[in-house]
Amino acid sequence: MEVAIIGCGVTKFGHHWDKDHDDLLVEAVYEALNDANLELKDIEAVWCGTFYPFTGISGNVFSDSLKFFGKPISRVENYCTTGMDNVRNACFAVASGAYDIVMAAGVEKLMDAGSRGIPPIEGIFSIGMPVVSAPGMFAMAANRAFKEWGWKREDLALVAVKNHYNGARHPKAHFRREVTVEEVLKAPIVAYPLGVYDCSAVSDGAAAVVLTRPEIAKKLGCEYAVIKAIGMAVETMHPWHRPSESFLSFPATVKAAKMAYKMAGIEDPRKQLDFGIVHDCFTITELINYQDMQLCKMGEGAKLIREGVTAIDGDFPINPDGGLKSFGHPIAASGVRMIAELAKQVLGKAEGLQVKDAEAGFAHNLGGPYSVASVAIVTKP
Amino acid sequence: MASISDCSVYLPVWKLKREEIAKATGLPSMGGEKSVAHWDEDSITMAVEAARMLKGEFDALLFASTSSPFKIKQSASFIASALDLDNAFTMDFSNSFRASTNALITANELVDSGKFKRVLVVAADCIPIKPGSLYEQIYGDGAVAIAVEKEGAAKIIGYNSSYQPLPGAWMLKDELISFDARLDAIFGYASSIQRSAMSLLGKLGMSPMDFDRIVASAPDPKSYESLLKAVGAKPQEFFFKNVGILGTAHPMLLLASQLDRTGRILLGSYGEGADVIAIEINEPVQTNLGRMLESRKEISYGEYLYNKGLTANRDAPDRPSIAKLWREEKSVIRFYGMKCRRCGTISYPISRCCVECGAKDYFEEIKLGYRGKIYTFTIDYLVSPGNYIGDGAHPHCVAVVDLDGGGRVLFEVTDTLTDLKGIECDAEVERTFRLLFEKNNFRYYGWKVRLLR
Repeated sequence: MEVAIIGCGVTKFGHHWDKDHDDLLVEAVYEALNDANLELKDIEAVWCGTFYPFTGISGNVFSDSLKFFGKPISRVENYCTTGMDNVRNACFAVASGAYDIVMAAGVEKLMDAGSRGIPPIEGIFSIGMPVVSAPGMFAMAANRAFKEWGWKREDLALVAVKNHYNGARHPKAHFRREVTVEEVLKAPIVAYPLGVYDCSAVSDGAAAVVLTRPEIAKKLGCEYAVIKAIGMAVETMHPWHRPSESFLSFPATVKAAKMAYKMAGIEDPRKQLDFGIVHDCFTITELINYQDMQLCKMGEGAKLIREGVTAIDGDFPINPDGGLKSFGHPIAASGVRMIAELAKQVLGKAEGLQVKDAEAGFAHNLGGPYSVASVAIVTKP
Repeated sequence: MASISDCSVYLPVWKLKREEIAKATGLPSMGGEKSVAHWDEDSITMAVEAARMLKGEFDALLFASTSSPFKIKQSASFIASALDLDNAFTMDFSNSFRASTNALITANELVDSGKFKRVLVVAADCIPIKPGSLYEQIYGDGAVAIAVEKEGAAKIIGYNSSYQPLPGAWMLKDELISFDARLDAIFGYASSIQRSAMSLLGKLGMSPMDFDRIVASAPDPKSYESLLKAVGAKPQEFFFKNVGILGTAHPMLLLASQLDRTGRILLGSYGEGADVIAIEINEPVQTNLGRMLESRKEISYGEYLYNKGLTANRDAPDRPSIAKLWREEKSVIRFYGMKCRRCGTISYPISRCCVECGAKDYFEEIKLGYRGKIYTFTIDYLVSPGNYIGDGAHPHCVAVVDLDGGGRVLFEVTDTLTDLKGIECDAEVERTFRLLFEKNNFRYYGWKVRLLR
């Protein structure tokens, strides 16, 4: 598969109390159109993601924000993987030749439900089951990893320190401040062992990308990056009820990564790719993602962060943009933003955050109780 | 006549010192402590906890309580379902502190008639006493379960019952009231018990001298002691110092405390008259009373008010489909999982397709074990126990538990409040039947786990 990214638009992520979802969507969509040097009427079909129904539902979330009527628009929802699943749907539509120019967008207005953690997700917890918050779900992985591999809260803290270091340099990040290991460890506990700085924040934001086939991009005279592959896998939403679940690896990621690597002809990601963007909803998630993305062996995730391998100037930079840790996680927007960040990096336009000689990278979205994952590979043409 | 063959006691782990109550309310302390229910316990859940320790089948379940959570909806049927009883006759006895002995007398008749083989009598009380009221120091929470069948260690040799609607305590709406304690002690309690006892002794052709011990529940410990002094007998342990009076479960607690040694006893209970039952204990019955008394955690008055739901906001997410609960009773209440016939995986809950191999409609339902080990866990401050919105002070402990005999289940870890000691990977836990949450005027019950007691 070869799909060209010809335009990217991303709002600043943060507490946009004064903006509605349509304000954010208009901003991201027009930025992407300007970037592609196209007009809204040039878009033939749209995939627009929202996770929470209070942000918006159906194709109307896009049509009525942009007053873009009479075209095919699908709303996509797939937990925190909503953003990248949007891009995946749009990619295959344009790759199939059914459309020439399409858009994938995502928006989330989390502040409309208040700033105290994302609201409980209807449908995950059936009658008789205790509710677990999002940090709680991933904290269960951390406690098992601590037990199994002797990882410590200090290891998790290093992830926060690295990502906030990068995010402090990104103009669109929600948090643009570095943090220290001590600050991270001293912060209040949200779900043991995860403290405030181990968690990505609740933020608002929108992102959009314009996609076409490379030959059309060339004809239009656009500068473009290439999506080489998108893999995606759905696992159980009750990992706590599946006896084979280790809580040390997220099978959805493992399978989505294998799919994407195979599609892009990658056998050794550490050698064939230059950097990656992983779903660091929580610090523990990033360390487990290293392993699931085959950057190291099981149990060695903490070693990578300790040795600085994933720092922006390390051997294999992870989250040079600052990740969800710095951007916050407006759910449906995050995956689309990651694709935009990949494009910027491989085109050498990531000012102040540019990974040296970045020609190919991956992005990874993980959603729900680790039940849905998507992995995309983006390269220079 | 029938016999008592087995007995089990459940006392909540939490103990509130009367000194603490006195400090907070300004009333003088009556000394000692009382057992108080955790926020997710009521008379239904405590009844299940007491009864589930008794082995074997039952064909009837008689539940006695003055504090059934529902005004309309039988508690006994909830309890029978949680105990996974097959086709039992279920019946509630209520409204009087005498309800438990009413149930025991009825059980005796059911068995004696030959119509029922083994009857479960379970008494539980968790009386909603108003904080700051006189009765706050008197009543405690707990449950006792008793198995009644033809042959057993302790034989019921006779009983007598008399009624007398006044004086005595009452609750019209939500406050326990008594007109005058002295009037009640002399003309209610002592005279009712004596009248019933005298009639019984007459029927049996016996005198008080033919009995080794006399126990009788009372409105307060002094009334019991005075009564025994008047009769010229030695007062037995009354459990006021360490438990409090357990409402209608109290006569059963007194019975339980007598079963560990042989002898002939008189058991009395008082409430709008008195029941007196003569029992011959021919073999000692080992109960868990000692262990229940030993296993205790202290609670502050503030946490006690929190447990009663009088402090903090409790708002649970909206998921009140009774239709769903009804459909899933076998998994949620009876706690069955499934064993895949193709790959052998034991999993929870029951579902048409196996979670490991996907085999469709190819499994058997199996009852899951009571004990297990924590595989992993978290202590979640965004949620409060019971799925309520987190208050930052009472975290929601949840654990992924590998149950003995197979099956992995996500549980709330209860009996914690803010005491999180011992919750870690590999810790041993046991299932406990609790209130999950209250929403839309309904109580949702199910299973949680707690550290072993």
